[in-house]
Formats: sequence, C-alpha cells, structure tokens
Amino acid sequence: MRRSHEPIAWSLFGAGGMLLAFIGPGLVLATALLPWLAAHDPVATHAAVGALLAHPLGKLLVLACVVLPLFHTLHRIYHSLHDLHLRAPRRLMQLLCYGGATLLSGVTAWWLLLI
Amino acid sequence: MRKPYVQRQRADWWLRNPAYRRYMLREATALPLLFYTLLLMSGLYQFTRGEAAFLGWLELLRNPWLLALHGVALAAALFHAVTWIALVPKILVIDTDRLRVSPTVVKRLHQVGAVVCNVGLLLLVLLLVGGGR
Repeated sequence: MRRSHEPIAWSLFGAGGMLLAFIGPGLVLATALLPWLAAHDPVATHAAVGALLAHPLGKLLVLACVVLPLFHTLHRIYHSLHDLHLRAPRRLMQLLCYGGATLLSGVTAWWLLLI
Repeated sequence: MRKPYVQRQRADWWLRNPAYRRYMLREATALPLLFYTLLLMSGLYQFTRGEAAFLGWLELLRNPWLLALHGVALAAALFHAVTWIALVPKILVIDTDRLRVSPTVVKRLHQVGAVVCNVGLLLLVLLLVGGGR
C-alpha cells in the first residue's frame, strides 16, 4: 500500500494550531497596533526588527511563525473544501495546498537567509 | 469487484445543525489567518528590500482594509485558540500507571499558558516598539 502523506501534514497542522493558539491573538493585535506604536520613531522600529532578524534564533522564530500557520491553514482549507463538496481532482488540490505551503515556506526561508 | 456504498450528502449539510455550523466556522478561521500570514510575509519581503520599503509597509498597515483584515484575523485567532485548546485533552491523554492528569487540568493548563504567552508577546512588543515614548 502507498504510504500516506497525512502524518506529515497533520504534524505540521498540529504544530501550527498550537502556535496560533498560544501566540496568534497576541501577534495579530501587535501588528494591528504597530504603525501607531512605531509612529514616534519608525527608524528605531526598523532597527528593532532588524536586530530580531539578524539573530539565528530570531530567524528561526519568524520562520516558525510563518511556516507553521501556512501548513495549518492550508491543511484546514484543503479538508474544508472537501467538506463543502468542491469537486476537484484530489491530487491537484493537494498540489495547490501542500505544494503552495511548501513553496511559500521556501520563499520565506530564502528571504530570511538574505537578511 | 469492489462496489463501495457511498452515502449521499447534500453540499449544504452543515447549514442545518448548529454544531455543524460551529464546526465550519472553526474551519473557516483558517482563511483570515492565511491572509494574515501572507501579510506577515509581505512585511518580511519589504524588510529585505531595505529601510524605506519596510517603513512603507508600516504605513500600509494603516489602510482601513488591512485594519479590517486584522480585526477579522483577531476574532479568528481567538475563536481558534478557544476551540483548539478545548480539543487538546481529547488528544493529549495523560493516563498511565505512574502519571494521571485529568482532562480538565490539561485544558486549564493550556488555557493559562495561552493567555500568558499571548499577553506576554503583546507586552514585549509594546515595550520594545512603543517603550521609547
């Protein structure tokens, strides 16, 4: 029997779900307020973000905050579209959702390495 | 030859039952959270292009549409957090001869942890970015 990709997809979905539950609301509220918080000294904000992204641990943290939610949300969307009876070839949907999440993750890792 | 029986189901099956509607709402939280993640990615991309581009992105966040996205994403993240942690004790079952933790305690600990982490992150950002005022 062919091995299923589901355990990998589910692990990433689970990790993303946990991350979003523990820091999702705080992160969203923080970036919503960011332009006003940074208004008095935007350059210092740029420097603070730069300091975070210059450190390997900071890069890893930001990578996790992008990659895990990508896999989490696209896994849910993949299964929800099935629940909504969207008729599309399974392979195509898998390519779009998991392939898309992989591609966007790679792009994010590349940007982080550029900094 | 295998001839599986396929139960017929209407596409609007989830509309009739409040529990199914809540389930679909929970799954739908993924959509604003995906768009929010793409917004974070765009910020990272602008950062790679230099200071001016990043400051432009910061100004872009004042856009009413993006503020609306933040509002919907915040509601989605909160609903996700509540429903996700409600499910944790069903998956994380600690019931061995040596250690036994009740599902209620597992849930409470996760709720406390999530509140501490979320508030902590927010305070950290307030302190690091807004602290100079």
